Amino acid sequence: MSLDFKQNYFELFSLPTQFPLDKQQLAHNFRALQAQYHPDRFAQASDQERRVAVQTTGYINEANEALKSPRLRAHYLLELQNVVFKQCDTTHDMPFLMQLMEQREALEAAEQSNDPLEVMDQLAKKVKQDKQLLESSFQLSLQTGNLVDAKEKVLKMKFYERLDNEVRRLQEKLEDEMFA
Amino acid sequence: MALLQISEPGMSTAPHEHRLAAGIDLGTTNSLVATVRSGDATTLADQKGVHLLPSVVRYQADGVITVGQAAKVAEIDDLQNTIGSAKRLLGRGVSDLKTLAGQLPYQFADTEAAVPKIRTIAGDISAIEVSAEILKTLKIRAEASLGGDLKGVVITVPAYFDDAQRQATKDAARLAGLKVYRLLNEPTAAAVAYGLDQGEALDEKIIAVYDLGGGTFDISILRLNRGVFEVLATGGDSALGGDDFDHAIAEWIVQQVDQSTAHTPKQLREILVEARRVKEALSHTDVVAVTVGHWQGSFSNEQFMPLVANLVKKTLFACRRALRDADIDKDEVADVVMVGGSTRMPVIRERVGDFFNNPPLVNIDPDKVVAIGAALQADVLAGNKPDTEMLLLDVIPLSLGLEMYGGLVEKIIARNTTIPISRAQEFTTFKDSQTAMTVHVLQGERETVEENRSLAKFALHDIPPMVAGAARIKVTFQVDADGLLNVMAEEKTTGVKSSIAVKPSYGLTDAEIETMIKDSMLNAKADRETRKLREQQVEADRTLAALDAALACDGEVLLSTEEQHTLQRARDALVASKQLDTAEVIKTAIKTMEAAAEFYVARRMDSNIRTAMAGQSINKFKD
Repeated sequence: MSLDFKQNYFELFSLPTQFPLDKQQLAHNFRALQAQYHPDRFAQASDQERRVAVQTTGYINEANEALKSPRLRAHYLLELQNVVFKQCDTTHDMPFLMQLMEQREALEAAEQSNDPLEVMDQLAKKVKQDKQLLESSFQLSLQTGNLVDAKEKVLKMKFYERLDNEVRRLQEKLEDEMFA
Repeated sequence: MALLQISEPGMSTAPHEHRLAAGIDLGTTNSLVATVRSGDATTLADQKGVHLLPSVVRYQADGVITVGQAAKVAEIDDLQNTIGSAKRLLGRGVSDLKTLAGQLPYQFADTEAAVPKIRTIAGDISAIEVSAEILKTLKIRAEASLGGDLKGVVITVPAYFDDAQRQATKDAARLAGLKVYRLLNEPTAAAVAYGLDQGEALDEKIIAVYDLGGGTFDISILRLNRGVFEVLATGGDSALGGDDFDHAIAEWIVQQVDQSTAHTPKQLREILVEARRVKEALSHTDVVAVTVGHWQGSFSNEQFMPLVANLVKKTLFACRRALRDADIDKDEVADVVMVGGSTRMPVIRERVGDFFNNPPLVNIDPDKVVAIGAALQADVLAGNKPDTEMLLLDVIPLSLGLEMYGGLVEKIIARNTTIPISRAQEFTTFKDSQTAMTVHVLQGERETVEENRSLAKFALHDIPPMVAGAARIKVTFQVDADGLLNVMAEEKTTGVKSSIAVKPSYGLTDAEIETMIKDSMLNAKADRETRKLREQQVEADRTLAALDAALACDGEVLLSTEEQHTLQRARDALVASKQLDTAEVIKTAIKTMEAAAEFYVARRMDSNIRTAMAGQSINKFKD
């Protein structure tokens, strides 16, 4: 009845341990596990059983979050291969950083443009494309066993995530201002 | 033997014993209780046949407490002792009063406690106690009409409620003597009430819940798949509601009646009452006669529309944002559920229908729909429907993060993550033989500490003495199905479990609740000075730890040797001040060190890109 915590996240959801993901299969198996282990299923059970249920579903949710996000999934796959990530790790690829810097500047400039929301939508689209390219190239590095390259790409993904958040934050700020 | 098997009604010993359970909608303006009887969920009325209980509590000098309509009637004459909208104060700290106090007519007590208290003739009262009175009234109502003790309840909360607000709601239930099966998000409850999980289609579908109450607006986007509800995103405006629509009509009346003379407060109140009547009448008919004093006129839905166009637009804007947060297209929304009395307005129904390109669901009374959904869920959790497939998965509405150096927040659990969830973070020591450190947990989306809600500050003690950086302290943050946070810590190299003293920034401590339950007003007050000193020492430790963490990470990259020395001197001064037993001195030393480190913070504040680039260029210099 109890869940085997020794399985890796992919095994937990009966998925192959690889970067390409069958999202529907993940969603389906995630719900099946939740239906079985969620604390609401143990509302009348003992405190002990309820605590186990909270821990178990916590683990299931954590695994689900880790697989759903391409960056976290990539990160996790490397950790499974004993690649170590440190808090201060970051990329030092200058052309990449310059390009990001330019995108940031474009973002800041967008605020002053005639149709800032439209410009931002375009930028968001561009970021999304770049992100997908990076993900494909990560898959290539992983397949060819170049873990150093693969790690570098995961670190870069973090920058896109930040940029994405920044776009969203600015969009919301603009909307708020339009309504103030 | 047969004689021994006789059982009292309601005390059946049958294997499928029906447990009495109820759903409670604890609202800002009104509250309701509902239960499932013979398969149907219905709200329960008081002896007079009234279902809605105004969320108003009046405290009198003789200790008499009145709840509901009777208290509401007294509100105008006894404003200071009659408390409404306590929900707005639930889980809020004294520092929130600055923003809230303007909206609330109460006198707040000068208190040392973390929880603000309203000064009444019967003593100082917290919002938790006020809410507990409302819950008690509903409990009595339910038990009287069901003829037995409630085994458990489901209480609904707004989807955006943070940890402190949820905890406060649970505390109120505990004070009222209720067992809470689950805190349920209001929009989820509304979707459950419509039985949207019962659909024949097995494919997943998206539901939007549009909740316009008296003073608040909430929009939630849910995903439903085979009985599993997931909250994908929430949004709204806590200062927009039906009252604003009343004001719009009232302003119109004022303009019509007389523009030359000023109105007395009494006249304005009359106009507002008439405005509300007109608004409600417009839900049934297109044109309404308006009478104020000797003035008579008429008002139509056609006139109403342009007056409130901006208010409606504001709600639709929030809808757009929530859809984007959920990464959902407008056309993907299969059902739109209407909640809250204000959604009776035809103008709202029309515009919301236009926006989603889909007529909203309105056949359940929008005032009762949340309580009904809660009752259905309570019935399931009580074990009365063992074959049900229904499972409600909630998400955490606001991100949880930790304070880092320079007052920045690093997120550890992102908003809209499905709960329960646990996440571990590893910390290390920065000094040889360091045995303690403090951790500051915050909730919110912003980048700096001040802009987020402080949930808890706690100290990790009894860390085994080791060289700096050798200890590995794993702190696990666990959010349960109700959205409440628990923290555990363990030193990993030795396996020593560190003790954690969690000091809730808002909300009551367990001890405080125990005291209240015993109803003893003898609050054991800790010596003020000692506490202040302790707080400053903790604050100093936190500041030092944060600086050390920052320096370890990028001090050598970002700072020149000279700058490092300057910071070191400021750091030493603070360490020295800690030895002096004066809170003020430590406070000043903290300020001084922070000022000295300001340039460093500014450098770190620059985006990570620039940090990385700075590292790069300095390295190049060296070459």
